Amino acid sequence: MLIFEVLTPGALTSVQDLGRYGYAHLGVSQTGAMDEYAYRWTQKLLGNTEGNALEILLSGLKLKVLNPCTIAVCGADLGFCINGQKTNIWCTHHIHKGDILSFEKNVSGLRAYLAVKGGFSLEKIQGSYAYSAKENKGLKVEKGTLLTYTESQTRDLRRVQKVHIPLYSKVLSLNILLAPNASSDILENSYTLSPNISAMGYKLQGKPLTSSKGGIVSEGIAFGSVQVPPDGQPIILLKERQSIGGYENVGTVLAKDCFALAQAPIGATVTFKAIEIEEAQEEMKDFYNFFD
Amino acid sequence: MHFKTVSYDSVMLYFGSVISEEVLDLVQSAYTSLKSLTHIIDLTPSYTSILIQYDIFYYDVFSIQESITLHLSKTKKIALKQGKEICIDVDYSKGLDLQRVADFNHLSIEEVIQNHTAQSYRVYAIGFMVGFAYLAKVPSSIQTPRLETPRAKVPKGSVALAQTQTAIYPQDSAGGWNILGHTDFDDFDSFEIGDRVRFINVNL
Repeated sequence: MLIFEVLTPGALTSVQDLGRYGYAHLGVSQTGAMDEYAYRWTQKLLGNTEGNALEILLSGLKLKVLNPCTIAVCGADLGFCINGQKTNIWCTHHIHKGDILSFEKNVSGLRAYLAVKGGFSLEKIQGSYAYSAKENKGLKVEKGTLLTYTESQTRDLRRVQKVHIPLYSKVLSLNILLAPNASSDILENSYTLSPNISAMGYKLQGKPLTSSKGGIVSEGIAFGSVQVPPDGQPIILLKERQSIGGYENVGTVLAKDCFALAQAPIGATVTFKAIEIEEAQEEMKDFYNFFD
Repeated sequence: MHFKTVSYDSVMLYFGSVISEEVLDLVQSAYTSLKSLTHIIDLTPSYTSILIQYDIFYYDVFSIQESITLHLSKTKKIALKQGKEICIDVDYSKGLDLQRVADFNHLSIEEVIQNHTAQSYRVYAIGFMVGFAYLAKVPSSIQTPRLETPRAKVPKGSVALAQTQTAIYPQDSAGGWNILGHTDFDDFDSFEIGDRVRFINVNL
């Protein structure tokens, strides 16, 4: 059944889920929702399992509703409106045939997630709905794109308690698990988010770190890996990172801090604090348990 | 063999520090074995290492290392599967950088082609993009550095060379490798670590 017609696509609107796993040996990028925290909230609010959502980068998206449905919108405040009326996010809404949903203004954060009850109907590729620009997989919406779904609306409405709604700050302190034998210089410096930020990775600007000029023997790259290219300016590798690479790795940013980073704008200030592996595992277990 | 904790759910297993066929055999053998270890999310083999992403609700940072070590010791007796042999027809008349490689190594273009086709290469890693197999080791007689300025577009099917490595671009991409020729080969998903690749000159 049809749910949305895309009137204007915005900067980049694509369908994402939790990512593509089990194909790294083929060079396949994991991809998936950049801010899993906001994404997981849309799924929890709707009771979706193995669902998906539109990942909406900045304002500009406008959708025409073609059939009734229950939706959830979480993440960045991009001036979400129903029929031109500014409307709450971090909650569910019943929407009706003929409604216009739009994202009018960049207020805070970069990426909003819009999910429908039951998820959009799409083919999975290698076990995932996730869009990948560089692998030409999944769906990026264009003007005129028609989205379909299967389930009808729920009766109840839900919202996220205020205490769980993040304030997107322009000053971030990221937990980093330092690589063994790596220099701890990164803990001493303050960095600025450069304009060079994408789903692949966020490049920082600051006092250059020393890097092994020749790089290392190429090896697999974990989510949140902090790499130092020859120019000494660190790159935090995120969801659409390449599967292997040969820059020196000085540590790895805790996954849930990477989700927060995905909402930070160009020019944001970034510092690092060290975390130990046991604490990192506990923090991430708490994160996942919360959504289960 | 040693471990390095990489992230809250990933550990790197190293089999050596330098690129060699012996280390590649260890990586390939362990990768084959680890495919049957349960509660593993992703495995990324490379030249000298395997990145292992695991379920933190099943393993902790210590038990994952014990489980991997035990699993590898139990499956050690499995004979190493001989990698496939893949022959790839190459049209060397499309080699935009053959002259550059020839000049750099003081050879003729014909000698460059002969050197490139005179041996088989092994798949050491797959990455950079889907289906991009890093093949080594290129004989020292034709090793040539990357272009100083990468091309904005290297066409799909380009057979290329950078220092000790050679590869085929599985799709159009920016790239700085020296282009030696072109192939219509299109089965990039079939590459596995350890396979042997042989280039065949088709314009005689």
